[in-house]
Amino acid sequence: MSTHAAPAKTAKTVPFIERHYFLLRRLHSLSGVAPIGLFLFPHLTTNSSIVWGSTLNKGKFGDVVAQYGSEAAGVATFQHEVDFIHNLPALVFIEIFVLWLPIAFHAILGVYFARTGKSNVDRYAYQGNYRYWLQRMTGYVGVAFIFAHVSSLRWGWTYGGLLPTFDAAHAASSTASHMQDGLLGTTIAMLYLFSVLCLVFHFANGLWTAAITWGLTVSTGAQRRWGQVCAAIGVALAIAGVSAVIGFVTLDPDEARQVEDQLAGQATQPAATH
Amino acid sequence: MIASPNTTSANPVRTITVTIKRQNGPSEQPRWESFQVQTQDTANLISVLQSIAARPVTTEGSATTPVVYDSGCLEEVCGSCAMVINGRVRPACSALVGQIVGEDNTITIEPMGKFPVVRDLSVDRERMFAALRRVKAWVPIDGTYNLGAGPRETPDRQETRYVMSTCMSCGCCLEACPQYQQEADPKAWETSFVGAAAINQARLFNMHATGATEKEARLEVLTGEGGVNDCGNAQNCVKVCPKEIPLTESIAAIGRDVTVHAVKKFFTGR
Repeated sequence: MSTHAAPAKTAKTVPFIERHYFLLRRLHSLSGVAPIGLFLFPHLTTNSSIVWGSTLNKGKFGDVVAQYGSEAAGVATFQHEVDFIHNLPALVFIEIFVLWLPIAFHAILGVYFARTGKSNVDRYAYQGNYRYWLQRMTGYVGVAFIFAHVSSLRWGWTYGGLLPTFDAAHAASSTASHMQDGLLGTTIAMLYLFSVLCLVFHFANGLWTAAITWGLTVSTGAQRRWGQVCAAIGVALAIAGVSAVIGFVTLDPDEARQVEDQLAGQATQPAATH
Repeated sequence: MIASPNTTSANPVRTITVTIKRQNGPSEQPRWESFQVQTQDTANLISVLQSIAARPVTTEGSATTPVVYDSGCLEEVCGSCAMVINGRVRPACSALVGQIVGEDNTITIEPMGKFPVVRDLSVDRERMFAALRRVKAWVPIDGTYNLGAGPRETPDRQETRYVMSTCMSCGCCLEACPQYQQEADPKAWETSFVGAAAINQARLFNMHATGATEKEARLEVLTGEGGVNDCGNAQNCVKVCPKEIPLTESIAAIGRDVTVHAVKKFFTGR
């Protein structure tokens, strides 16, 4: 039918990304929702356990609460969650195949795709257009933050002493003391807060666009209703993220360390303390 | 002679300044020129451009060439007069002076930025038609014998398709789209983003009983690079569409069809 068809391309001359375009696009979309996006739920609820643990788990950690006050239940809950994660079987395989590789894939393709767009919010200042722009900006922030976050807290890179590392045995106290370490600590806490909010937006808005991409929300009404659901998810995750930062910034690190040591002692010698 | 303007107090004659981005040819440097124009609030922008053509003298008093622009129907159905007016794309024929003139009494006009400029405000939209060919935006009825009457269309389906069929290829959706960039090389049009207009047309003809015979071919194109996956969901297209076509619904519907198409292809091989 077409009289001016381009010469037939052989498999070799067509670039990889063009040959597998649909698959790569949809894997990019899928990886953002699951596993990466889904991981935000346990991650941010774990982090915010420093706050909700002090209310909900007062009874569970009655010993330390009696001695140090209700804050100790938050410390104990957070430590309990961290211990659980660190005791998962084949943790490093989960991390590599469920987190690090999907995040790297999503990040590399995301930056590649983002480079094909050219924002025009200056001329078309629509809310949706701002979200398009923000989705890309928060993506860039996210790539930088997640790399710094994982490389310092998980792989132990200190960047010449600039970034703190994570002490899994003193989960809450080490986190709190890093965030309260003068100007550097405040800067880290602020950057962390900013980055978490960026990533929560990126996930909530990405969840909204993914439904369009896959064709789940077709009508304008469906897109609006799903948008409200995504906004609610975003607000809930943002509350978890913000409360975690507030919890660690206001925590007494020395007292938290005593709670952690006491609980660790109980765990290793259950009979001796009673 | 144009009928003498209605100079009642409700619609007085006023003088406005029109600033236009001009360009002598496709590879020439653009320049800005301003014109003082006597007009009325109810006049459309095409009549303002006609006034300038009748007396092509700039605000500074120097004679210049008439401003070149495209226009056809003057009733927002042909799409040829789309241009960037006060920073926002729209057809000039339906842009009335009173609604668009700024507080400083000025209107700024530029050619669309996503298509090559032919001259002044006239642009070459050939890529839009290449995109329509790419997605086979037609009903296949040509043959060597009479095919007879086609399948029946239900009124319900006609209703849904009608608004989609009002697309006039003005290109506003593409001008406002952050994912659609100017591409001068026609060879690149095979893999560059087809844009909202062509995606909507693919949906229109996929929903047509006879047009649906080409459905899989259309979806195959829209599955690949430059297809529906290139959409970034900024949704500017639907905001600027002068025909109020539900372009974002068409994009989502094609997104769904392409998902099904790809799954089917994965299992059946075609």
